[in-house]
Amino acid sequence: MKLAWLRSLETSHQDCVWACTWVPATDKSPGLLLTGSLDETVKLWNPEDLSLVRTNTGHCLGVVSVAAHPSGKIAASASMDSFVRVFDVESNNTIATLEAPPSEVWQMQFDPRGTTLAVAGGSSASVKLWDTAEWKLVATLSIPRPEGSNSKPSDKGNNKKFVLSVAWSPNGRQLACGSMDGSISVFDVQRAKFLHHLDGHTMPVRSLAYSPLDPRVLVSGSDDERIHMYDAEGKTLFSSMSGHSSWVLSVDVSPDGAAIASGSSDRTVKLWDPKMRAAVQTMTNHTDQVWGVKFEGGVRGCLLASVSDDKSISLYNYS
Amino acid sequence: MACVYIPVQNSEEEVRVALDQLPRDATDILDILKAEQAPLDLWLIIAREYFKQGKVEQFRQILEEGSSPEIDEYYADVRYERIAILNALGAYFSYLGKIETKQKEKEDHFILATKYYNKASRIDMHEPSTWVGKGKHNQNLQVNFYKCTRSHKNLEHTHLVTGQLLLAKGDVDQAFSAFKIVLDGDRDNVPALLGHACVEFNRGKYSSSLEIYKRVLQVYPECPAAVRLGIGLCRYKLGQFERAKQAFERVLQASHMLTTFCMFFLDPENVEALVALGIVDLQSNEASGIRGAMEKMQRAFDVYPYCATALNYLANHFFFTGQHFLVEQLTETALAATSHGSTRAHSYYNLARSYHSKGDYEKAGLYYMASVKEVNKPQEFILPFYGLGQVQLKLGDFKSSLSNFEKVLEVYPENCETLKAVAHIYLQLNQPTKAHEALKKAVRIDPRDPEAFLDLGELLISTDSGAALDAFKTARNLLKKANEEVSIELLNNIGVIHFERGEFELAQQTFKEALGDGIWMKLIDSEAQSDSFRKVLHQPMDASLAARIYKDMQLFHNLEKNGITVELPWDKITTLSNLARLFEQLHKTETASILYRLILFKFPEYVDAYLRLAAIAKARNNVPLSIELIRDALEVDDKNPDALCMLGDLELKNDDWVKAKDTFRAAKDASNGKDSYATLCLGNWNYFAAVRSEKRAPKLEATHLEKAKELYTKVLVERPANMYAANGAGVVLAEKGQFDIAKELFTQVQEAASGSVFVQMPDVWINLAHVHFAQGNFPLAIKMYQNCLRKFYYNTDSQILLYLARTHYEAEQWQDCKKTLLKAIHLAPSNYTLRFDTGVTLQKFSASTLQKTKRTVDEVRATVAELKNAVRLFSQLSAASNLQIHGFDEKKIETHVGYCKHLLEAAKVHCDAAELEDQQNRHRLELARQAAIREEESRLAEEQKKVKLEKRKQEDELKKVMQQEQHLERIKEHWKSSSGSKRKDRGQEDEEGGQGGERRRRKSSNKKRKRDKKPMDDDQQDYEETNYYQPDNQTNDNDNDDNDNRLAAAGLEDSDADDDTGGAPSSNTGRRIRGWSESEEDEPEKRQPSSSPVRDNSAEMQPSDGE
Repeated sequence: MKLAWLRSLETSHQDCVWACTWVPATDKSPGLLLTGSLDETVKLWNPEDLSLVRTNTGHCLGVVSVAAHPSGKIAASASMDSFVRVFDVESNNTIATLEAPPSEVWQMQFDPRGTTLAVAGGSSASVKLWDTAEWKLVATLSIPRPEGSNSKPSDKGNNKKFVLSVAWSPNGRQLACGSMDGSISVFDVQRAKFLHHLDGHTMPVRSLAYSPLDPRVLVSGSDDERIHMYDAEGKTLFSSMSGHSSWVLSVDVSPDGAAIASGSSDRTVKLWDPKMRAAVQTMTNHTDQVWGVKFEGGVRGCLLASVSDDKSISLYNYS
Repeated sequence: MACVYIPVQNSEEEVRVALDQLPRDATDILDILKAEQAPLDLWLIIAREYFKQGKVEQFRQILEEGSSPEIDEYYADVRYERIAILNALGAYFSYLGKIETKQKEKEDHFILATKYYNKASRIDMHEPSTWVGKGKHNQNLQVNFYKCTRSHKNLEHTHLVTGQLLLAKGDVDQAFSAFKIVLDGDRDNVPALLGHACVEFNRGKYSSSLEIYKRVLQVYPECPAAVRLGIGLCRYKLGQFERAKQAFERVLQASHMLTTFCMFFLDPENVEALVALGIVDLQSNEASGIRGAMEKMQRAFDVYPYCATALNYLANHFFFTGQHFLVEQLTETALAATSHGSTRAHSYYNLARSYHSKGDYEKAGLYYMASVKEVNKPQEFILPFYGLGQVQLKLGDFKSSLSNFEKVLEVYPENCETLKAVAHIYLQLNQPTKAHEALKKAVRIDPRDPEAFLDLGELLISTDSGAALDAFKTARNLLKKANEEVSIELLNNIGVIHFERGEFELAQQTFKEALGDGIWMKLIDSEAQSDSFRKVLHQPMDASLAARIYKDMQLFHNLEKNGITVELPWDKITTLSNLARLFEQLHKTETASILYRLILFKFPEYVDAYLRLAAIAKARNNVPLSIELIRDALEVDDKNPDALCMLGDLELKNDDWVKAKDTFRAAKDASNGKDSYATLCLGNWNYFAAVRSEKRAPKLEATHLEKAKELYTKVLVERPANMYAANGAGVVLAEKGQFDIAKELFTQVQEAASGSVFVQMPDVWINLAHVHFAQGNFPLAIKMYQNCLRKFYYNTDSQILLYLARTHYEAEQWQDCKKTLLKAIHLAPSNYTLRFDTGVTLQKFSASTLQKTKRTVDEVRATVAELKNAVRLFSQLSAASNLQIHGFDEKKIETHVGYCKHLLEAAKVHCDAAELEDQQNRHRLELARQAAIREEESRLAEEQKKVKLEKRKQEDELKKVMQQEQHLERIKEHWKSSSGSKRKDRGQEDEEGGQGGERRRRKSSNKKRKRDKKPMDDDQQDYEETNYYQPDNQTNDNDNDDNDNRLAAAGLEDSDADDDTGGAPSSNTGRRIRGWSESEEDEPEKRQPSSSPVRDNSAEMQPSDGE
């Protein structure tokens, strides 16, 4: 279990890079890296040499999230102005522009079959599900408000369930979302039903990832500097791993399910061994907060990408 | 059989007196002596015989009769014998005086002795001294060969006797002069020499004393044992133990032969020699020697149970064997037996030491004191001073203790133990420099003393950690070399210093070394865990319990249930806790929490562990758990100021103001006001109270501020180095507008804070930046905020980003401002204030661009885009307000939306105009460009023509030359011409480079400072208020404040429709605005240079003011 640094691109964007994801390879094109930045652009990269494939413009106020359809043909990007732009990867034609006011848009993810796009809805305390055929809002999975909270406008408690992050289980049956107050909510998607909370974090949960092999194992990263491993169905906490010296901004599970990668405000990327419950490697090539880490999901190789406020992109070989 | 014959008066007959058959009643013989008017020497002989037989009474009777006035009258001419009799009496009494222990009687004896000597000296002043030898080195020896063998033969001299008397009384100087008179008359006068030797000995001049004894031995080879004893003692004092021993042994060998010479050595055993020999044996420091010594002492004790020296040494022996009862008995006897100062000093010392070792410091102190009083000069007997010093140190009387130790140091300036003790006291007396000096000296004297290095290290810990570390390491190495166990404390200290110096890896190693092997090792190191252990350790826990993880002890129960013993020796707690603290520093917080819990599992009263766990929980924002843990701590110790302060802090976090204040007060009371942190917390509380109150009452505010200042000052008086108090004081000053002083203060604190890994004071950076901001020094403020963010917060603090944005805003750096705000939103997505601020920034940017007289079409386009964004932001907020997500006033937002839309329309006109102008410009440029191209082309053509012409010319010439010159030269000529043409081409390229100029022009900066800065400055004060000290306490309140400020600021500056909102805004806003108008009256003079209010927009303020 090891990360080997491959290459970095210093100024990949004009400003902080906040999001990244892998676009699966299609018959026409190889797998690409998709990044989004404060500079209001979305860029596509060839991982071979980190050469720029294309720059998409059109967003306002910083791109906070990008998502790629499992087919590799469609991708989505979202910015702080709460618009989601769905576009054709090859042609950059806009397929749809999604918004669900007054809900903001934070993290997004396509479900494993590619029929639904889940969008973390911020202050609406819900996850919006968009149908990818018609680009219609098909469901809103709301986190039930705690009992007896007839919230007043000035009550600060309202924002606690602010939804930041979202993740699909590998079988597409479950969906988890992380909130500002540190709680994680698990939903049954088919029945559009809230199942339960997973407690343990006490600060915003900015990133969630299911193990690709085990639909029960959910990994979360939080501002409380911990990475948690939950049994999402059994409602138990496997382990709480500390080691980052600041917020954990992003987590991802390796395709073989044996390792966890994390990016943190402490400027590092760490590789964790869930069995040992300890970090086995720390990469220090970034010079500012690392907002995104992502394993390339493909079977053939195993690349890890990381993006940072330092405007750079880095690639590593995971083995 | 020896006899004397008393001649019968007026006849030839003699009375024969057999000396061994002297009558019991001396009167009989006296009658005969008197009746027959016997020569006085016979009287002496008979008296001496009585004395020899131990019949002291008879002896006295005869001599007293022999010195009676009738005798004086009758034998007026017989001077020598009369003097002899008197001297004998004098010597007898001086002996009595010497052996007498009761002071009164002693005095009487001496007085009598003096009387007799004086009488003798009156008989003949010039008579040489009586041969009354008395070897005397110190009073314990009492070697007295008073009137030794040849008294009757030698001439007597009263001076000598007087000298001896004086010596016996301890009056060394006068004795010396007395002996000197004798010696001036007769260099070889043995008793005088002996006396002189004795004087020298008493003066501590052992070698000269030795010389004199040697001379006596030469002059008088059959000298009494005392001389050898003297030699032995001198040698002993000079450290020549072997030779001293020889001398003493010879004394003992000779003693029985010499008995006859020594009137008072009634026993064949010379006690003094025995004792001396014993001492020498002791000195050998070998088991056999000590045993022998004790045997000899015992013998001396048997011979003469009142020899104080022997008693003392025996006591000493029993002290070391731990038989304290015997020690007391012996020393008490010794004290009763002697009045000799130094011997008594020894006795008292033994007694004191006995009590000392039993831990009875009061009594020990008293006896040490008694011992010290008996010692004339510290150099004679220094030990009681040391002991007294120790006891006083123990009893906390540092000053007296110090003076005693200093006396020791006067005598033994290089005594390491004393130096260490002195250093310790200096430290207690808060004189670290002196302590340092003493320890340094100790270390220099004995560089192999690990203890001294340990002390030195401990001393330096607070001042010079590097040097302390070196000292500790030296101590460790010395101990290791000596194969001694390195104490856990030492390793702990080394670890702590490494920790403090940021050498975490070394610290970890050292702590682990200190801890050795145990359950903790398995808990720390996942690789050392066996699978079964790991399985037990990592049992999944219910997620709903995860929030209470730091109270979980199930883990250890599980381990025990699985047969794994969970043990923790008490002496490892501190180090383990330090190691846990180190893990915290390394962000292995979960490991740290397990260690803390292990400590609590075994020692539930270890408060620090609760507090650390509470701190970990607090850092994770788990306030309820944190409070619970602190309550646990308070259950153990309900007066623990640290726990109370922390609780207060958490209560503040929970917005529980009144409770927090009570808690801080309790903390302060619990520590009797000595805990500066509690005072500081109260100060902070007052400060927060001053700036937070909902109903902003200036009076209340002033009171709170004053109180805060008072508390900060109090802390500063007690601890001038307290940075937090200084920071607080600076804040209060800044609050009052005294920016320069505040800045000075902050700068100092900032410098002081940048040294330790434990002191993290981002607040002071922020405060400093605030002051720069307030003084209009935006670039510096920006730099400071950025540095602070990066240095302390990994750029994650949205609040500081807000300050930064605010500074950019003020500096009219719109893009930076916008970016900064967007970053802040990204970090704190649920903070809607930031969105609102972004909207305002965009709006302000657009407005200012449109107001510019000159602007490019790109600028206008950007303006339009940003306005659209602003509209979107505001409308989103407006929509969100319906859902009651944030506390903004809907109307206010709509005002902004309206204004932006209005601007947007205006911008459209501008945009079209700009577009047109741009097109025209472009057209013009295009024309110009084409003209330029055309010109260029024609120029090029011309040039080419020229070149061609030239070429042709050259060719013509060449042809001519060809005709005249050779083929080679022609080729050279051709090269030259071709290189010339290349150079020309390059020149053309340069000319084309000038076209980039246009782009540069677009960046024309817009540094005009506009309009009423007044509200903004006050606004800035709000920023200050909010974050001082622990900004996280305040973040939420602050949001609202900023929010209001933003609202108001925006409204005041840009919104035409502000009048409408007059009645509508939330009460906060109104309150705020009133606040501004008030402060405006207070401050304009101060602010003149930077603000110079331009009143063009101020009319809009009026409605608000009137509110």
